[in-house]
Amino acid sequence: MSGIAHLNHSEKKAFLVNSSSLKDVRSFCRDVFEKLQIEQNLKDELVLAIAEAAQNIVKHAFKNNAAANELMVVQISCENNKLQIAFYDRGTPVDPKKVKHREIDNVKPGGLGTFFIQEIMDAVEFKDGNKPWINHLVLTKQL
Amino acid sequence: MSYKIAEEGNITTIHLDGEIDMDVVEKAKEVIFPHIDSGKEVHLNLSQVQYMDSSGISVLIESHQKALEKNTKVVIKDVSKSVLKVIMMAKLEQILNLE
Repeated sequence: MSGIAHLNHSEKKAFLVNSSSLKDVRSFCRDVFEKLQIEQNLKDELVLAIAEAAQNIVKHAFKNNAAANELMVVQISCENNKLQIAFYDRGTPVDPKKVKHREIDNVKPGGLGTFFIQEIMDAVEFKDGNKPWINHLVLTKQL
Repeated sequence: MSYKIAEEGNITTIHLDGEIDMDVVEKAKEVIFPHIDSGKEVHLNLSQVQYMDSSGISVLIESHQKALEKNTKVVIKDVSKSVLKVIMMAKLEQILNLE
């Protein structure tokens, strides 16, 4: 915990589901975390976790093949120093039991994104996606 | 991502610049792999890379493994603090050749 009282604040933004949106996702996160006065080290980690989750939507939920106008939404909320980041998409339904990272000692390319998310965040939870959404991922961290 | 390449003897130094994510990994591979495949020692200078995600880390792992297959090596030099943190989170600081 940081010991700093962060603002209660919430923002969300929609992005096209493709890899070139990832820099826009990072930019959005950095802007919001600036407003929340989150210190640089933690900000870097949170941006990485969020970008990895967005990348998973592009790569796994849509298999790198989303329609050109397909959107995903990222919502960042902070209330009582608890940060909640929600992702909404209309990709293939995610089976949470199948979401796992590779063994970290088995060094090979790939399989690290989920590991980074789990290392950085306190909790990772898949919730039911209300229409029109299919997947609703929620990451939380106590600041 | 942009890059600059300098060659001296059997060493190719590739300076990468910018953010390395899923969107640019194929470009990064196209820049790096041919030099490894030619059997040269490759130095990757990451001093100007301020952000790298798991896709970028995968390129470093693949480069390292490809170099071992070719009996050469990839040396990762001048890593920025933010990228070093990601490399350490992936527990690769003892695997990759960092200088």
